[in-house]
Amino acid sequence: MEDFLVNLPDFGNADLRLFAAALHASSNGVVITDHNQPDEPIIYCNNAFENLTGYTKKEIIGHNCRFLQGEDRNQKSRNLLRAAIKDGEHCTVLLRNYKKDGKMLWNELMISPIKNPQGIVTHFIGIQNDVTKRVNAENELVEERELLDEQVRERTHNLEESESYLSAIVETIRESLIVLDSELKILSANENFCSFFRERYQDIIGENLFKIGNGQWDIPELRQLLLNILPHNNPFEGFEMENEFASIGRKMLILNARQMTLKGKYQDRILLAIEDITERKAIEYRKEDFINIASHEMKTPLTSIKGNFQLLEKIAKRNNDTTYLKGFATAGKSIGRLERLIHDLLDVARMQSGKIQFNFEPFSFRKLIEDAVNVLEQSSPEHKISMTGIADITVEGDFGRLEQVMINLLSNAVKYSPVEKGINVHLSMLSGYCKVSVTDSGVGIHKRDHKRIFERFYRADEISERFPGVGVGLYVCSQIIKEHKGTLWVESEEDKGSVFSFTIPLKQNQYGN
Amino acid sequence: MAIKIMICDDEIDILDVTQMILEDAGFEVIAVSDSLNAEQIFLNEMPDLLLIDLWMPGISGDRIISSLKSNVAHTNIPMIVLSASDTGKQTAMSCGAEDFIPKPYDIDNLLDILNSHLIEKSNSKY
Repeated sequence: MEDFLVNLPDFGNADLRLFAAALHASSNGVVITDHNQPDEPIIYCNNAFENLTGYTKKEIIGHNCRFLQGEDRNQKSRNLLRAAIKDGEHCTVLLRNYKKDGKMLWNELMISPIKNPQGIVTHFIGIQNDVTKRVNAENELVEERELLDEQVRERTHNLEESESYLSAIVETIRESLIVLDSELKILSANENFCSFFRERYQDIIGENLFKIGNGQWDIPELRQLLLNILPHNNPFEGFEMENEFASIGRKMLILNARQMTLKGKYQDRILLAIEDITERKAIEYRKEDFINIASHEMKTPLTSIKGNFQLLEKIAKRNNDTTYLKGFATAGKSIGRLERLIHDLLDVARMQSGKIQFNFEPFSFRKLIEDAVNVLEQSSPEHKISMTGIADITVEGDFGRLEQVMINLLSNAVKYSPVEKGINVHLSMLSGYCKVSVTDSGVGIHKRDHKRIFERFYRADEISERFPGVGVGLYVCSQIIKEHKGTLWVESEEDKGSVFSFTIPLKQNQYGN
Repeated sequence: MAIKIMICDDEIDILDVTQMILEDAGFEVIAVSDSLNAEQIFLNEMPDLLLIDLWMPGISGDRIISSLKSNVAHTNIPMIVLSASDTGKQTAMSCGAEDFIPKPYDIDNLLDILNSHLIEKSNSKY
């Protein structure tokens, strides 16, 4: 301080020491430069300046302030500074300065000229303020804003792309789609809706759905369903309606509608999808009609054949007429086979059209197996069917259909065991399921066919040469077991026999779907 | 006096064979092929049991049963549907029939079912 006071002009003021002490104590860095000496050397710096820059006083005094800029000389604010010094003006600039350890600091520098009584600049006083934290925060803010702007631009671009992508889908889709507001006014409609229902887009937008086309959509049930969607977020699916449309005639439609799940301004909107199923329904009806008529037409003559045959057989047996007994036995088997074949083919047709019906109720499993065994023992008395295992359980299922499976499996065991006549039916219980295995010692099945024999109309090569059949029995069985949420499979070796097993849950709703 | 069974089926072959089977089993049989006359013949004959087809030209078997069953005098007479229709069982049960026998039927099974209903009918009289 003394050095500085020596070099200062004599102000003749007793308070000078106090001012000098105040400068020293200031938390801002303060330097004073001598304007009358070449290159504006620093003649004073306070402790705060030393702390700010990391340099010591002896490294500072006599230097121009530019030593703080290191190699970073091309800063625009330097021009302002230079001009202010040249013109002897006051100015504030923000500079990147570098501490002795090389770390950058943002220096908010304020310079003020000190003039003598003649108005000539003798010194400059510079006050340095380290605003690195503030500037960094500002820069980060700017960077974040730029990043945000970039993200917004990117999202907007993506949204535009998604929108055109979605609208391409919406316009290509073969379903009619419309968007309704909470009052069921049409907000938008796809091309298919307009072309299918022969409406002009501009005529229907903003109109209430029930008012367009002379109120042809005003069907009380549909109105109720649509009005229920928004208040309770209660969508509907598969609502079938048959309606007479003035421009396109009678149509069978299937409708799905839901509240749009988007948040914000789209949430009170309903998306209604309409599919024309007129043709599909007509085909379904025709197919169903055909199956029903075919079923009736095949069973009617068979009823007459079977009735007459059984009556003749009964009379012959009563009269002890043994002449045709062998013939009766053969004909009886053939009638049975034909009956099963008709049943199976009709079942396949129904399974294909999803029209097969199941009637689930609890029944005694023992009765099911015994009934099926009885049927086979009567029709194939030369085969010996044994029953082992536990069967005293109640099962929930379609008795008739499961009996059909059992008879089918037992018939196969009989059919494919022409030499070895022993057949075993084993029953077991396994944690909520019951299992049935039908074991024969017949011709067996090659491993490659173990899965395929359950396919529709599939017959193993070796088998089809030796045994008649069309390959539907096991397909029907597997579908019936599948409907009972069980599995049907085979374990078999050629020339050693086969074990056909199936499992079904004891209760149908026990394991869900 | 023989037990009287009325059969109604538009298929003459089935009507004939069923008649023969039932007569062979000792029943008196009224065989009707025209469903439109069935109800009147039933009222005239008052059979002990009605065995009737579903799909028939004129009027279907379930409608005949419904109509006959609406008269309390007939509630005790077993009416049994004999049909080749897959949905026959549901139709039979919903029109008030006592039982359903699918076509093609088995003679022994047919006679067992008819007899069990006739026994039940005769028991309920007393």
